[in-house]
Amino acid sequence: MRIQAIHSTRFKLIVNFLVVCFLVGGTSLFIGGHLLYNAVVREAESQVKLALSATRDVYNTQVRYVNVALNITSLGSGFRTAFFEHDIADLRTRLERLKQHAGLDFVGVVTATGQPLCRTGPNAVPETTEPALSVDNTIARYVTSHKEAVAGTVVLPRSFLHIENPDLAERIQFYSTGTEGRDMACLAIAAAIPVFENTPSGEIAGALYGGIVLNQSTDLVDMARKTFFLDEIQKKIDAPTVTLFFDDVRVATNMTDEKGLRTIGTRAPETVRQDVLTMGKQITTRLPLAGKWHMAAYQPIEDILGRRVGMMGIAVPESTYTGVQKKIFFFFLLATCIGACIAIGMGYLLAYQIMRPVHRLIRASQEVTEGSLAPDIGAISRDPEIAILQKTFQHMIEKMKQRRMESQDKIFQSEKQASVGRLAAGVAHEINNPLTGVLTYTHMLLRRNDLADDIRSDLTVIVESTERVRKIVKGLLDFSRQTRLDPEPTEINRLIEATVKLIENQALIKGVAIHFHPGESLPPLVIDRSQMQSVLLNMIINALDASEPSDTIEIATAMARSAGAPGRNGVEITIADTGCGIPPENLDKLFDPFFSTKEVGKGTGLGLSVSFGIVKEHNGNIRVQSEMGVGSTFFIWLPVETTGQEK
Amino acid sequence: MNILVVDDEGIVLESCNRVLKPEGFSVRLATSAEEALAVIDREPPALLIIDVKMPVHDGLYIMKELNRKQQRVPVILMSGFSTKETIEESYKMGARMFLAKPFTPDELLGAVRRVIEEASDGKEKSSGH
Repeated sequence: MRIQAIHSTRFKLIVNFLVVCFLVGGTSLFIGGHLLYNAVVREAESQVKLALSATRDVYNTQVRYVNVALNITSLGSGFRTAFFEHDIADLRTRLERLKQHAGLDFVGVVTATGQPLCRTGPNAVPETTEPALSVDNTIARYVTSHKEAVAGTVVLPRSFLHIENPDLAERIQFYSTGTEGRDMACLAIAAAIPVFENTPSGEIAGALYGGIVLNQSTDLVDMARKTFFLDEIQKKIDAPTVTLFFDDVRVATNMTDEKGLRTIGTRAPETVRQDVLTMGKQITTRLPLAGKWHMAAYQPIEDILGRRVGMMGIAVPESTYTGVQKKIFFFFLLATCIGACIAIGMGYLLAYQIMRPVHRLIRASQEVTEGSLAPDIGAISRDPEIAILQKTFQHMIEKMKQRRMESQDKIFQSEKQASVGRLAAGVAHEINNPLTGVLTYTHMLLRRNDLADDIRSDLTVIVESTERVRKIVKGLLDFSRQTRLDPEPTEINRLIEATVKLIENQALIKGVAIHFHPGESLPPLVIDRSQMQSVLLNMIINALDASEPSDTIEIATAMARSAGAPGRNGVEITIADTGCGIPPENLDKLFDPFFSTKEVGKGTGLGLSVSFGIVKEHNGNIRVQSEMGVGSTFFIWLPVETTGQEK
Repeated sequence: MNILVVDDEGIVLESCNRVLKPEGFSVRLATSAEEALAVIDREPPALLIIDVKMPVHDGLYIMKELNRKQQRVPVILMSGFSTKETIEESYKMGARMFLAKPFTPDELLGAVRRVIEEASDGKEKSSGH
């Protein structure tokens, strides 16, 4: 049982600690994780936005670069001469050189009417039959109609590319479904510069155009990625990707599928298309791309006519920042685990510290149960509560010791009385028979008339002595009788009055006044009337015996609490005389059987002892106060029964 | 007047004999309950004086036997152990009087005379009917 108690306490302590630990750990894991995750997400968002604007810069730089390259060529005097003199061979050489140096995909020259004059690639010299603007040369037409230079994004039809260079047309082949109709054109960065007449009016004579086809171009997207995400690329982790869309189809990207192929020809999610292309918004969002979650940002690409023709997007795989989240989670988990270990340790330690003195007390209690009153409870604990417990326990043991001694005293006393009683009974029985003989024969002798006076006198002495013996034996018998009480509700004042009446005459003869002062409204006492009367009688006779003529005996009753058993209600009867008093050395022997100070023949020494026994039987007590020459007062306290017969 | 005294103590028997005989009573003595019952069977006495405490069978046993046989003999019980209980028990068993030992010749005679008077009063009353 004790061991179970220890285990259960230790278990409870540890469980409580663990609960607190996990509660705190879990909460911080949840809240901290959530906060940090949000911070990381915000950071990722701003990073993606920043990367998107950087990509836009790279894109715009590319546009300016194409523009500048064409501009410089168009202003060159050699070019102008070749243009105006229609020196096609020279023009072609110059255009090829420009294309090569500037890294363009196509370069060409048209006349003011839009008639192609010369171009790079296999169809360098257009056939004369080729109609002006038979193909939609969007960029050149813009210049010839608006008469100003232009640079930017354009959508070029497949037929245009086919004429410019059949290889370019191949680049708009898509190999995925759902892109039907979008393979008839491509997205390109292009510029066109007007060529003016040498006249002061400056009539437009033609235009120089050129550009880069973005479809399946890797330069721009890879450069943009390298500009912003060099770190990630070098670490070979899941790198962010840059993508250009024609409409919602990926035409240039460094996002790869599971086979490592660029995901060209695949489409942007419908929501993105809706937000960016239809609504024209720049968005940042979390979405699954190529089977992984990404943080991505998109913005629309407008062509030179202001139409939204495509999008550019940046996608950062979540793994790059969920790594941080994982680290945080791991850290918190580690902290919680360490906390749990500490909690278990503390639980053991505390349980040991708290429970050790408690175990001692439990063991001590068991020892007490087994009868020992000197149990070892160990040193007083430094813990104030435990110390109080230990001290209370010690106090309790002290009290128990005291009680045990008292009860042993009582047992000894009552055993003494019982054995004296048995002895008295036996003696009385054996003595009374021969005494009958003595009394009978002496009396018979006394009846004879022929006795000499001296013999008669001697016989009288025998009779008187025998009478004394008879009284002593009678006293012994009274002392020994172990009568059962016959208690009934009794008005104590009436009983005292009746008793006083019995003795009044005797007192009057002696010249002693007996006064009774009955207490008012006393509850009835449940007592054995005849036994209690013999007690009262005995006490009053004792008082009378101690008194001289003109002395008084004062008897009173009053409600009183017991001196022996605090808190119990009862009635106290005081019998006070103004007699000779009792010597102090006799006070503690007063209630012993056969103790008497009366002259020989006056008392048996059993009266007070018997009275004491009767009062004890009633759960009451007798006290005495006495002063030599002043008088003695006896106090008889009897309890008011609160149960049973009172009702 | 025929009186039977029962006691295991010879001195008590002899004392009773010495007191009662001179007063004109015919006294018979028995030292045990068995002996007493045999005597009663032979010739029922007018009065029984019985000691309560005797070996083998006590005085109360004789009373029970008399009650059982419906022999209505007035009884004086006597005992050296004269406690309240003994006295009460004696009266309950039907004793006319209880005599505490030791007693003086006057006490014994007083008791005997009173019981005989009461018994004869009772008889007169019952015969009057």
